[in-house]
Amino acid sequence: MSVKYVPVIWNRTKLFYDVIVLAVVGAYLGVYIYVAPMFQTVTRPIDWDIYKAQAFGTCVFYLLTFILCIGPIARLDKRFLPLLYNRRHLGVITCVLAYFHVDFILGWYNAFSPINRYVSVFVVNTSFDRFLGFPFEILGVLALLILTVLAVTSHDFWLHFLKPTLWKILHMGIYLAYALIVAHVALGALQSAAGPFLTGVVGASLALVTTLHLLAARREHVIDTQINLMDDTRTWLDAGDPMEVPDKRAKIISLTEDERVAIFRNGTKLSAISNVCAHQNGPLGEGKIVYGCVTCPWHGYQYRLEDGTSPPPFTEKISTYRLKLENGRLWLNVKALPPGTYVEPVISPMLAGGS
Amino acid sequence: MAKKKPDPFFIGWAKKPPKSLHGFLFFISAALVGAAAGVAFGIGSSLPDPGDARFAWGAGYQTFTGYVDAKPYPLLRLPAGEGGRSKPHAMLISGIGKRGMQQLAGPLSGMPVDAGGILLKRGNLDMLQVGGRVSLRAAETPVPNFTPAQAEQLGKWRLTGEICDGKCYNGAMRPGTGLAHKACANLCIIGGIPPVFVTVTPLLGQTFFLLADENGEPLSSDVEDWVALLISLEGEVERRDDLMIFKVKLDSAKQL
Repeated sequence: MSVKYVPVIWNRTKLFYDVIVLAVVGAYLGVYIYVAPMFQTVTRPIDWDIYKAQAFGTCVFYLLTFILCIGPIARLDKRFLPLLYNRRHLGVITCVLAYFHVDFILGWYNAFSPINRYVSVFVVNTSFDRFLGFPFEILGVLALLILTVLAVTSHDFWLHFLKPTLWKILHMGIYLAYALIVAHVALGALQSAAGPFLTGVVGASLALVTTLHLLAARREHVIDTQINLMDDTRTWLDAGDPMEVPDKRAKIISLTEDERVAIFRNGTKLSAISNVCAHQNGPLGEGKIVYGCVTCPWHGYQYRLEDGTSPPPFTEKISTYRLKLENGRLWLNVKALPPGTYVEPVISPMLAGGS
Repeated sequence: MAKKKPDPFFIGWAKKPPKSLHGFLFFISAALVGAAAGVAFGIGSSLPDPGDARFAWGAGYQTFTGYVDAKPYPLLRLPAGEGGRSKPHAMLISGIGKRGMQQLAGPLSGMPVDAGGILLKRGNLDMLQVGGRVSLRAAETPVPNFTPAQAEQLGKWRLTGEICDGKCYNGAMRPGTGLAHKACANLCIIGGIPPVFVTVTPLLGQTFFLLADENGEPLSSDVEDWVALLISLEGEVERRDDLMIFKVKLDSAKQL
């Protein structure tokens, strides 16, 4: 969590994660470069530099597709949450591979000319008014710029410097990068240099990313559209039967489109905190109480239930909310309290025997 | 008493993931590695055949003696017998890399020359990458009794195909065609490599045409907009030895 900055805080999980990522990259590049050529039906092999550029480029596409699937699939099935934990390393590796792709292209297609290879990317094809024939390389350059910015700012230093909301908006740029790369591939490789398999992979990848996001969005929509009664003063909202809150877990209540509250139960005690983790805006309500603290499902940031504050030496704070029990119903005060405000948990004796 | 349902919860900084997730995580990791290998194999093994175009490095440095035509783009006119051909042969030439031969060929146009370099070959097509000790120079010993024949006019045609650069198509790059190669082709053409038109269907047995403007001069830079696209072009066709030259108005180009 947030005590001091070190380049990478390694732990056993991150090491395993990175080993798996490197195994995926190694398997992809190894098979592409050394195994697949033995099964090609070509008169003469494709130029080595072009072939390596294709290997790295398609590997980037594979990894980006995977990266974009992690978010929604982890919302739909919590068993996938470990994939999300170290996604930033995956992104950085993807960006590095993209640079290899560019280096091979510039060192071959854009080389051997009196025109500087870097300048040539921007000047040799200016058919911006065409669909087919559009300088698709520039789409790739834009995507690479975005990937670079995301890789550079992926460290927690930038997260704290920019604050989570701005950082998240910036990192949503991954979708723009993916769209640019799809267009880059569609207007370039798919027009001539690719076989039918790549066309199928690109189509299936797009369909997979879109479908998973739509399914996750539908799930979020169900939470956002649940109807909770308000009292006459419009300050207290009926949060339902306390028995609906599973022990050590939370029930999520949507106040507005932008504000959700997580009501956690720890035995017979109930507390309400913001659903948004101070680290990366992770969904705290999908977390669990571990060692007495609410633990974010994304990166394990922890908060005390009573005051929404991380245990020392950490300093993160989130908003808390008041709760009350009336006639066996749980009521939530819709006014968020300043981050770190202590609120006495509500004790519900009826929770003593059940789960 | 009802058995409590397991509620595994992953925490990244914990020593180990929950035991109940071990099998799942192992399966997912194996699936990702397997899928990566499968996708890589599928894409890598199904790439289109780039053809047999190549540098003929194995043939070594070669020298030819004939005449040079500087327009529309430099080409060698070789007598019968050169390279085992029974008829005179017109061969495109280029400099090293993405450079044309206009500077050297211009002053020698119409004169007997020696040319030395490395051949590029694609089936019956060839091109000489000029360089090395001979490069392109006035012939030391011109071929006796040889004067290139006049060009033969073959009339007006509308042809369908793709504009490529003559060097990559002939083997400098594999693949040397298509939109993925457009920037490279444009760089070649900008550098003076002759643009060529590769047709979908043969005309008089030929699918390879050197391009020129309607006056037989090099094409303007407008040609770069049409490179690597499937287009139709209209113009006069002429034949110099065994090389077809397509003298076009770029205004007639239509994208298909």
